[in-house]
Amino acid sequence: MSGSGTFDKKLTGQEVTSLPATPSAATPSSVSDPNSGFLFRPRRMFAAFDDVFDEDRFFLILCVFIGIFSGLAVVCFRLAIDWIHLALLGPLPQTHTWRMFAVPSLAGLAVAILVMHVFPAIRGSGVNQTKAALYIFNGYIPFRTAIGKFLCAALAIGAGHSLGPEDPSLQIGASLASALGRQLKLSREKLRLIAPVGAAAGLAAAFNAPISAVLFVIEEVIGRWSAGILGSVVLSAVASVVVERGFLGSEPLFRIPITAFKRPAELIAYVVLGIAGGVAAVIFAKGIGFLRPRLKAMPRWTQYFQPAIAGLLIGLIGYFGAPQVMGAGYDFMDQAMHGQYVWQFFATLAILKIVATTLSFVSGTPGGMFAPTLFIGAMLGGAVGGIERIFLPHLTASIGTYVLVGMGVLFAGFLRAPMTSVFMVLEVSGNYEIIVPVIVANTFAYVVSRSLQPTPIFDMLTRQDGLVLPSLEEEREEAILRVEDAMLPPPAIILSASDYVDAAARRIEDSPETTFPVRLPASGWSAVTRELILRRLSEGKGEHTLGSLISAQPLPSLFPDLPLDSAIRFVQTNSIVPVVNRANPQKLEGIVSSQSVFAKYGAQPR
Amino acid sequence: MMIYSNIGPRYMFQALAKFIPRSAVFVLLVLTLAAAVAFAAVSHLVARFNANAEARGRKLYTQGLADLSAGKPDRAIDEFRAALTCDRNNSQYQLSLGRALRDTERLDEAESYLQSLWQRTPDDGTINLALARVAAKRDSLDDAIRYYHNAMYGTWKSDPDGNRRKARIELIEFLLQRNARAQAQSELVALAAFLPADPVLHLQAAQFLTQAQDYPDAFSEYEKVLRLDRGNAAALGGAGNVAYHAGRYRTAQHYLQDAVNANPQDANSRSQLESASMILETDPFVHRISDAERNRRIKAAFVAAGERLASCAQQKGMNLAPTNTDASPDSPLATLQSRWLATKRDLPKLTSARETDLPDAIMDIVFQIEQQTANDCGEPQGVDEALLLISHNREAADQ
Repeated sequence: MSGSGTFDKKLTGQEVTSLPATPSAATPSSVSDPNSGFLFRPRRMFAAFDDVFDEDRFFLILCVFIGIFSGLAVVCFRLAIDWIHLALLGPLPQTHTWRMFAVPSLAGLAVAILVMHVFPAIRGSGVNQTKAALYIFNGYIPFRTAIGKFLCAALAIGAGHSLGPEDPSLQIGASLASALGRQLKLSREKLRLIAPVGAAAGLAAAFNAPISAVLFVIEEVIGRWSAGILGSVVLSAVASVVVERGFLGSEPLFRIPITAFKRPAELIAYVVLGIAGGVAAVIFAKGIGFLRPRLKAMPRWTQYFQPAIAGLLIGLIGYFGAPQVMGAGYDFMDQAMHGQYVWQFFATLAILKIVATTLSFVSGTPGGMFAPTLFIGAMLGGAVGGIERIFLPHLTASIGTYVLVGMGVLFAGFLRAPMTSVFMVLEVSGNYEIIVPVIVANTFAYVVSRSLQPTPIFDMLTRQDGLVLPSLEEEREEAILRVEDAMLPPPAIILSASDYVDAAARRIEDSPETTFPVRLPASGWSAVTRELILRRLSEGKGEHTLGSLISAQPLPSLFPDLPLDSAIRFVQTNSIVPVVNRANPQKLEGIVSSQSVFAKYGAQPR
Repeated sequence: MMIYSNIGPRYMFQALAKFIPRSAVFVLLVLTLAAAVAFAAVSHLVARFNANAEARGRKLYTQGLADLSAGKPDRAIDEFRAALTCDRNNSQYQLSLGRALRDTERLDEAESYLQSLWQRTPDDGTINLALARVAAKRDSLDDAIRYYHNAMYGTWKSDPDGNRRKARIELIEFLLQRNARAQAQSELVALAAFLPADPVLHLQAAQFLTQAQDYPDAFSEYEKVLRLDRGNAAALGGAGNVAYHAGRYRTAQHYLQDAVNANPQDANSRSQLESASMILETDPFVHRISDAERNRRIKAAFVAAGERLASCAQQKGMNLAPTNTDASPDSPLATLQSRWLATKRDLPKLTSARETDLPDAIMDIVFQIEQQTANDCGEPQGVDEALLLISHNREAADQ
């Protein structure tokens, strides 16, 4: 098969047999075929180079371009937020000015009108929409979503709604990637994958953290690893981060204070922080889960005013002395890291931010949950750290360390992305020393949150929207049936290929079994039935060995730890399948049969 | 209708599209071109945004400086912060914010801003000096010394010598405040070695050396000042003071006299001059006096010491009269009284040429009385003060 022919075929998703053998053999009918892809054209100026590419290679290069375009889009998005913030709220944090509540209210009204009449698909964070694109819509996200998300999220965040730019960036990246994939008419498989690839690029650029973005997308959106997926996602994430850093600089989001972990006994302090973070995450998630469906169920006309009222309430919080809760709040997280606040103020900000973000999010204002989650976690960390230092003044960790660990804690507890939460803190801090406290605190937060609120926030939102998307956390936690679960003990009689038929007949005479495993000389296993042995004996072949009677092809064997699914295809065609030891394949651990396998699934064999 | 639709832009685009080569390489070329165009557009956008932001940052920075001068540091900090969000890499804004935070005692955050600057330019003298001041505020001696040294050997945009000298002087002041006299002395020696011929600078160095109790070097610096500015009253007083503390009373008397002449209001020099003169008139060990004069001074000192002992005992409520049996024989004052009385019997032998050790023995009891009474009854005045100082000098000389 010629390279170019293969390329076209794969890209268009056509069957191999329907493709022309060579580019020159392409027919006009293929051009007029409405299903034929953008690249499926007869004339090629660069045909010689096309031999280099198949769809997989082309897709990897395309991922770099997706990263570049997503990075550029996120740069513009960030500038738009900054510009709107400066234009509407001014450069200095101010309280007691009418703008504090007028601006988010009016912006909320404008956003509501846009969402209801022009961009109906942009409500919420964007993570679920990307997941829905992967699992339901074959990778389709309208390009209009990118535009709408860009405009409305920038307006809402810039005007002070308590939301972050990361999830919108993720959706903008996914939407751009999806549009590009559709234009190039990629195969269905690649089209499905391209939205998460764009999502990783968008998130990486927004966070300036490629590893966390890759992990989040794989952990929460795609849910599985493979070299191809990892390669695509990494390439796009790295490309977007390079672009973003090229334009906005490579400084991390925060100036990280000096952090150190000196005494193992201090882990107890981080355990307390983890537990507090888990509880706070549950309160936050339950608040959203309770209010969101109720507000959505209200009459349609009220939805024009919901973001405006949310903006008004958030503005009033800012007006009366806590402007820190408005917007993404990165500057204030930075200040918190350097011990600017006392623990009482930390705790107040954490509570107010939970209220403000819940209001913004449940009102349907487009914007992300990542930055508010980090903010709440940071403030909670500061509060817990401050209290602990009062009671345990010998603790060596600075408040900044608790703030930093707190960010990861709420990320793990609320967004339920434990791996991402650890790497996010490491990437943001650039400090490996705090990995142990981060892992300990995040683990406790995750476990506490999961035990108090089994459904993760994104799954809860999905179900509220009436969609049935796979819950990747549930999949991770699901108990997998393995071969050993359906395995029967080894039969009492195990025959050998070198046994004579008459001797074998004598051995099986009193056995109730009908099928017996046969050990083959070098390695491997086969099986022989009682009926076959007795027939051969009656034919006068008692002097023959069993090896001469049975098939030369050994039976497939299984290992006890394999998923039970892998046994199904073998038990359909073999009455028994040997289960052998991985270290010694000659040692029979047991057997599986169709009855034993299907009984485990609670079904009858066909 | 068909005809019109066939010649419409959509048809034309489709017809044109048929001639466009559609290979992977072509698509990649188109994407590259699109990326280049998008890059150019975003670059333009970012450049304009940054230019506006920088202008806004400059304005906020200027406001911040004004507010800082007007004694509104919190407002200034907000403005510096806002300026920094407009121009994140601006070292000047960052430095000013770090300094303002330091001055409002927000040391953690100040250090963080300054550290991030330091990581970019670790040899910058200004940043190191700012960090040294933060460390000094934290009372962190090692960090402060490290950053001050970095500032001294770092690069400065203007007046490097002057700024390095200022950094060293600041370090010296810090060390003297922390009573780290040995480290201060070594810094002072280095400072003095590279001072230009400026009486003000030498005078400052001499005063620091005096503070560090490095009297010989301090005296040398005062002399340098006086070579540059003969009538400098502060240098005259300083030199006299240093000579006085070093036990060089005749030199001290000379300089202190000049200092009082140059500045009659200098009460400290006048007081020290009187003390020095008293010592020179009282001390039996000074050179170029006759034996008779030496014996006279010894006798006078002995009498004065006896009177001082008696008055001190009286002050303490003790009766040292030989008939009194209440006074504890173990009391230092009583012991000294016994010895004084015993020595008094030998006093007439002072003129004898054979009693060569007697003057030292008499003055030894005098010095012991002066030191003990100073401990028990407070610092003496007049002749007793002079005798006490002479005793200290003798001890120092013996050691």
